[in-house]
Amino acid sequence: MRRDLVLARWNPAALAARHRAPHAIATALASLAIFAVLLVAAGKDPLRAYRDTLFYVFGNAYGFSELLVRMTPLLLTAVAVALPARLGLINVGGEGQLYMGAWLATAGALGFPNLPAWLLLPLMTVLGFIGGAIWALLPGVLRAIKLVNETISTLLLNYVAPLIVSFFIFGPWRSAESASYPQSPAFVDAARLPSLAGTRIHLGLLYGLVSLALYAFFISRTRWGLAMRAVGGNPEASLRLGVPVSGYIIVAMGVAGGIAGVAGMAEASAIQGRLVAGLSPGYGFMGFLVAWLAAGRAVGILIMAFLFAAISSVGDILQITQAVPYAVVNVLMAVILFIVLSQRRS
Amino acid sequence: MRRLRLLVLACLLLLAGTPAIAESALTVGAIYVGSVNDYGYNRAMKDGLNVMRAAIPGITLLEAENVPETAEAERVMEGMIQQGARLIFATSFGHQQFAFNLAKKHPDVVFEHAGGWMQAPNFGNFFAATQVAWYPMGVAAGKMTKTNTLGFVAGVPIGYIIGDVNAFALGARSVNPQAQIRVVVTGSWSDKAKEAAAAGALIDQGADVVTMHVDSPVTVLQTAETRGAYSIGFNSIEARRLAPNGWLTGLGFAWGPFMTATAKSVIAGNFKPAMVREGLGEGMVVVAPFGSAVPADVQTLVSAAADRIAKGYNPFTGPITDSTGTLRIKDGEAWGGDKMGNFDWYVAGVVGKAK
Amino acid sequence: MSTTFVAAVASSSILSGTSLLYATLGELVGERAGIVNLGLEGVMLIGAAVGFAATSIAGNPYFGVAAAALAGSATNLLLGYVVIARQANQLAAGLSLMFFGLGASALIGQPFVGAIVPALPRLGVPGLGAFDVLVWLALPTALFLWFLIFRTRWGLALRAVGEDPAAAFATGRRPGSIQYQALALGGLLAGTGGAHLSVALAMTWDEGMTAGRGFIAIALVIFSKWNPLWAVAGALIFGGAEALQLQLQARGTDLSPFLMTMIPYLLTLLVLGMWGWNRQSAAPAALGRSFFGVE
Repeated sequence: MRRDLVLARWNPAALAARHRAPHAIATALASLAIFAVLLVAAGKDPLRAYRDTLFYVFGNAYGFSELLVRMTPLLLTAVAVALPARLGLINVGGEGQLYMGAWLATAGALGFPNLPAWLLLPLMTVLGFIGGAIWALLPGVLRAIKLVNETISTLLLNYVAPLIVSFFIFGPWRSAESASYPQSPAFVDAARLPSLAGTRIHLGLLYGLVSLALYAFFISRTRWGLAMRAVGGNPEASLRLGVPVSGYIIVAMGVAGGIAGVAGMAEASAIQGRLVAGLSPGYGFMGFLVAWLAAGRAVGILIMAFLFAAISSVGDILQITQAVPYAVVNVLMAVILFIVLSQRRS
Repeated sequence: MRRLRLLVLACLLLLAGTPAIAESALTVGAIYVGSVNDYGYNRAMKDGLNVMRAAIPGITLLEAENVPETAEAERVMEGMIQQGARLIFATSFGHQQFAFNLAKKHPDVVFEHAGGWMQAPNFGNFFAATQVAWYPMGVAAGKMTKTNTLGFVAGVPIGYIIGDVNAFALGARSVNPQAQIRVVVTGSWSDKAKEAAAAGALIDQGADVVTMHVDSPVTVLQTAETRGAYSIGFNSIEARRLAPNGWLTGLGFAWGPFMTATAKSVIAGNFKPAMVREGLGEGMVVVAPFGSAVPADVQTLVSAAADRIAKGYNPFTGPITDSTGTLRIKDGEAWGGDKMGNFDWYVAGVVGKAK
Repeated sequence: MSTTFVAAVASSSILSGTSLLYATLGELVGERAGIVNLGLEGVMLIGAAVGFAATSIAGNPYFGVAAAALAGSATNLLLGYVVIARQANQLAAGLSLMFFGLGASALIGQPFVGAIVPALPRLGVPGLGAFDVLVWLALPTALFLWFLIFRTRWGLALRAVGEDPAAAFATGRRPGSIQYQALALGGLLAGTGGAHLSVALAMTWDEGMTAGRGFIAIALVIFSKWNPLWAVAGALIFGGAEALQLQLQARGTDLSPFLMTMIPYLLTLLVLGMWGWNRQSAAPAALGRSFFGVE
């Protein structure tokens, strides 16, 4: 018995895991160095930027809280990618599913302003789930009947969803109260997800963590979850064995879309307090990258989402203290990704 | 493990080298929705802040450009407050709610928002009386047009912008009852490709005078100049050099005196929130110099109209009907500055959908 | 519908569609070699920023466009390195490139915001409008690409690599090298598409000014069945959607701009569905490796 345990410590997977930590640090340092060079070339001070960021993120309650705020939607959109990925499906439609979830949840918030919070918020969460789920079900069905590849259909629908949202906030939902600025009316207090006192950390974080936990449990402990891995590995064999592959595809896409939709509902309800056009700065795409970097593992998703959120904080600091456009932080993100991409064999 | 220790050591070294924060009379934070080099709205705000900075020694100015009109703005403003800002200028319309949220959270910080209406003990609102200032612009356009079609490129279709179009239309039709004003909405304060296409579309539909209310007049002016149309500028006086042939006149803002006064009151500790709307009379809005294409008699007419506005004439005095024929402002009534955000209808002569 | 209205819509469609067409052609070449670049948006942005910056520095828009094309090519080669030499996942690499482009273009363009540059001069067509040199070159470029892909040996090798790299290798071709070449060429075109926006159309630089055109182009490649000639039609339709809604607004007609902008995407989806039914995939078989595998 003990010998097995000892041997288990030296199996390839464990060894690989051992080597991952120093690799990750080397990657981080290399990326920070490259980004520093870029900043210097642009006439800025990278050391000051990194120092300010560390202060802001770890030495400052607000900075840390904002990091968690940024992390929340990433947890959800990453699961939305990781779940169908078990089946070999590629869901790049997180953006669109997020917007549609926000849209349907807004319909609920605007349609039932007199409900108490303990009824309205679950209703909005369910609506958010349904909105996102529908948006992913279409590509799911198209894929299940072998009509259109889901990568393309989810990508295309990404751009239709914000247009639908814009149509509503410029049109039927335009709020006359704010000089007709294109946004929905403000949600009533009962429709706002509660936040942690003084910060903007909101219940969405719980949604994210719960989704992640459920995902981890589902794929490793339930028979459907384990079956998904088999189906993803060899769909023809599964089909021949009588596994309802189409059913799995449709359900997986639907649930994934729903989770991304809840992210949209949370952003609209907790952070914005209404439906606006610029709801997501690319959370769907970032979620894809988070899930990919984490290779679909739940703990990895947690770590990677944290990392992405931390990187975004660098952008905040650079913008305020050194007049660097916030968008430049995307370069840091991309450099890290390129370094990782260059190492792995996928 | 060793590498982890090295990393921690590196972090500690970085933290150790932190310089002390310098003392200053007041730290002011400003967020812009676009870039300050836009030859337009954001530039005008920045110029105003520069005037303030020059007038009060010891002011530290923190700025952030391209801050979107979403909850991101809250994060940026909070960051500035963390860096010591005690006066925040939220310079774009859509920043209002987020500045207001922070005002509730930080009662010791003063917020000034441009273009809205909310107020709180530490939250004031300021803008120019822009709408009525468009009246003399309309006069200029109405006199100079030969096709009787005027084009207006509108950014975000809020009530205040519709008010701009209405005043422009009223001014144009006061000297040229045949004038028609066509409006194209781009949907954003700054979408250059759309602005170029919108200006082009208006000119295609016959407009020979084009104007705009978007953050930067540059693209519309340049498009008009390329197509040989007249143009009227907005948000910037300097932009007239972009349209040497077509420039008629324009409107610009001078925020400096107001910003200086506000900063001084914050330093002195006697800030009082107000809904500030100053116009041509007070010098917050200025009429740009005329272009070479404008003959002397038109110049006189426009200057006279501007003078009337400066002295208090309100073009939004009833009876005024909208473009569908419905009476909107009754005889004897007048819509004052507080109602400028309520426009969701166009006056007669405007072709476009307001709602 | 008067002739002036039709002419106006046509001319603004052509203007809007040009940058889209160049980007589409650029993506098309890469995809014909089997490489899908989801980061096209980033490449276009870099092209726009570099084009504007170079025009501002040199005072010459042609120089600016050339610089933009080279920058686009270099950016695509970055993707090429990661995807070909390091065998990385194409989708992840593409999205990373998109973020890279968003950030790098902001950094490059920041010192030049608000600069006034000489725009690309336009030559008039009576009755239609005035167009710049890139518009005039758009159709010839598409024709040239069609010829290149379908009538030359290089094009044959390109298509062979896109269909089955292993088989191509077996016949003595070097798939990696051809893919790099395709990406380099594609990058030139994509960068040019970006430059057209900043140097010819808007005559300015703004963060994120491509506003999703890169993704529209990716959809257009599919819509055009990886054929440069169909890409011309597609670019006109997609460019036309935006142009049409602005022209309709100027005319006073009320049609939601958002619904109109949706149509091209939905159309592409519909078209895809129709092909799928015939099970005729016009896509290069090895595109993205498992990207288009509808098993």
